[in-house]
Amino acid sequence: MTDAARVTPGLDLPATRPTVAAATLVQLPRMRPDRLRALADRWPDPVTALRAVCRGQAAAALVHAAGPRSDAGRRRLAAEWAAAADPDATARALARRSTRVLLEGRPGYPIKDPLPDRPPYLLSEGDGLEALQRPRVAVVGTRAATPHGLADARRLGEALAEAGATVVSGLAIGIDAAAHEGALAAGGLVVGVVATGPDVVYPRRHVRLFDQVRSSGLLLSEAGFGTPPEPFRFPIRNRIIAALADVVVVVEAKVTGGTRSTAGHALDYGRDIWAQPGSVRNPAAEGCNRLVAEGALPLLDHAELIESLDLTPRGRRDPARPPVPAGAPRAVLAACGGEATTTDQLVSRTGLSPTEVATAAAILQKGGHLIRSRGTWWPT
Amino acid sequence: MLASVPSATLLGIDGQLVEVEVHISNGLPSYTVVGLPDASVRESRERVRAALISSEIEFPKRRITVNLAPAGVRKSGAGLELAVAAGLMIVGGDLPSGCLDGVGLIGELGLDGTVRRVPGVLALVDTLARAGVGTVVVPAGNAHEAALVDGVEVRPTRSLGELRCCLKGEMPWPPPPDPPPGRPDPGGADAMGDLSDVRGLAVARTALAAAAAGGHHLLLAGPPGVGKTMLAQRLPSIMEPLGRAEALEVTRVHSATGQVHDGRLIERPPFRAPHHTASPPALVGGGSGRPHPGEVTLAHRGVLFLDELGEFPPRALDALRQPLEERVVRISRVPTSLELPADFLLVACTNPCPCGRGAPSCTCTDAQQDRYRRRLSAPLLDRFDLRVSVSAPGPDDGPGEASAAVASRVSAAIARQEARLADWPWRRNAHVPAGALERLVPLGPDSDAAWRDAIRLNGLSGRGAARIRRVARTLADLADRTDVDPPTVMLAASLREDVP
Repeated sequence: MTDAARVTPGLDLPATRPTVAAATLVQLPRMRPDRLRALADRWPDPVTALRAVCRGQAAAALVHAAGPRSDAGRRRLAAEWAAAADPDATARALARRSTRVLLEGRPGYPIKDPLPDRPPYLLSEGDGLEALQRPRVAVVGTRAATPHGLADARRLGEALAEAGATVVSGLAIGIDAAAHEGALAAGGLVVGVVATGPDVVYPRRHVRLFDQVRSSGLLLSEAGFGTPPEPFRFPIRNRIIAALADVVVVVEAKVTGGTRSTAGHALDYGRDIWAQPGSVRNPAAEGCNRLVAEGALPLLDHAELIESLDLTPRGRRDPARPPVPAGAPRAVLAACGGEATTTDQLVSRTGLSPTEVATAAAILQKGGHLIRSRGTWWPT
Repeated sequence: MLASVPSATLLGIDGQLVEVEVHISNGLPSYTVVGLPDASVRESRERVRAALISSEIEFPKRRITVNLAPAGVRKSGAGLELAVAAGLMIVGGDLPSGCLDGVGLIGELGLDGTVRRVPGVLALVDTLARAGVGTVVVPAGNAHEAALVDGVEVRPTRSLGELRCCLKGEMPWPPPPDPPPGRPDPGGADAMGDLSDVRGLAVARTALAAAAAGGHHLLLAGPPGVGKTMLAQRLPSIMEPLGRAEALEVTRVHSATGQVHDGRLIERPPFRAPHHTASPPALVGGGSGRPHPGEVTLAHRGVLFLDELGEFPPRALDALRQPLEERVVRISRVPTSLELPADFLLVACTNPCPCGRGAPSCTCTDAQQDRYRRRLSAPLLDRFDLRVSVSAPGPDDGPGEASAAVASRVSAAIARQEARLADWPWRRNAHVPAGALERLVPLGPDSDAAWRDAIRLNGLSGRGAARIRRVARTLADLADRTDVDPPTVMLAASLREDVP
């Protein structure tokens, strides 16, 4: 087979739809967000871009992008792309998974601002198409969240869903998942932006959550099918979360970590950032407190956030909790001092016997005043 | 000419009767040992020859065959040498042929004819006694240990020459040597320390008493330096001393591994603390050749303490699951399979997470915590009835209750259990199977409600629910209560934390 014969499919590309062409580009080997951006900047029409790639002309677009440094490297990559581009296979994959392709500048593309590094094409899976029509709030935070943080993220997800906002997050462990779960539990719509291919479930333990997101919202990805979790993709993915959102809320974050990158992108894009302050003794709150110090809006009340989106908070109150019984339970709750506390510490602080403390804590747990997690009691 | 002398060899921790047959016939001088001897037994040839010559006994220059019966059992160790030497003396005419009737011999020989002590004498003498041997000759160094066996006359001997004179009646048997004076019992109260040395940790103390009383396995999780290890090491100080039958069992085990102690009966529960580099065979027993008892067997009727549980190789920890469940360990080797006792109390310490700080100031990533927890398999963690998180003592926490006071409560609780379980095959609350709990640990309506609340609020499995019920019974025994009241159930539930 000659080279001419191999590129023939690309030469009668007028038959190829732009969405399929875009997905074919996304699917190319060693494709990265910056390279895709470079192709789209050079050839705004995906069909034109694909035709150029099939002719082996992609090297010209890669000169200014983070492509291979040497000419030879760029030419090798261009040749590899020309050989690998397979619009028919991509079209079949799109049809099989009912994946839609959202194209920059066309109706349905969710990022309105002409941000210089926004993804030119997004793969979208799921049934909740109207998720993108509503006000969008990104809820993000650390993977190593405390039980408090998880409960807060969940409640925030619920409140936003009830007020009619879409919760955008990254489907990671911790705060991300809790926010998604809260919104889904309240019957809301969610958008999950993943750093892998849209058909890859990462982390594995979220396989059910992924299914729920597909049925009550959208799963977005800028990577091709089968793209594995590669560390470099996660901070880059965060820019999409920031770009999609009208506001970004950080529930719990460490000083370093992915959440800081989301907040950084949100700042670049001019999005409002809300951060929930926490105890200075909680490492999982340090990032939030730092953000507040740097000018983020302190999230003290969910209603305040919802009103800032011109939505009406639904007055759903927490189920009434029984009052704290006087005596040992009250002393035990006071001894917690709002922080995670072990039974040992409670015995030491109250001077009660282990039996008395255990009994009081069990009563408080039943009344919803304390949560028990990993060997510690957490006041709610 | 043929002589036959009873002796015994070790198989695991039990003795195996060996009939040492010595045959001498005309022919080229030779010396052959048959009957599955291992290397150490085959080497004994040279020791026996040298010892006889050094003791000025003639080594017969004829064709000698030594057979160790039963031939199908592999013999190991040097303990058969004394019997071989005695057989040679009979066939060589140095001893009258009737003088060894009903006499068993155990001992290793030195080249100068001295008789050296051997491991496992308690088990070996016991085996000979059961086989109907009335008198056993043992090395003088083992005489005290051998005397622990009832129904057999123990004759100590120091050298082959002395043995010959004594057997011929030319001199009286020497008295047993005095036990070496004054060395404190390694399990004694002084070496153990006292619970009053530890500050704070009220909850962990409660759990420790419950572990000692009810036989519940205990996991302590907490940041480094708060006193987890100190507390665990003081567990023997509150445990009941062993009864005579138990003490004999334990002494037998320790004697068989050669870890003998002056021939004294081990009366304190053993406390074994293997390092976390221990291999699976070191923990549960095994090894090549003659299978050796592992730490679980050495901890029989005592405590197996695993510090830094998460650092042990996962394979070694998973090997513990079967002995934990069945309280014996089965070692299969071609051609034999051994069953060793392993009824121990497992006490382990671990940090809550890799950084050691635990909530709320932990700085570990989710993945780090995950990996750390995965090292401890859920089935293993599930076997700890008591899982307690320990935190640093507060500024006002004084020294806790002394061991003696706790020990007396533990003894009383054990007496209550034994009275309750007298007609049942279980010794401790922890051993009561789930099916018998309804009958042996009945709960009143209030306690039952508290138990069901605890199951619901803590998301306990059926097995977890049974475990807190057993612990509640032990706590009630410790508090000298007949019934299990709701606060006791809640305390039991609080002693089963979701750690590490």
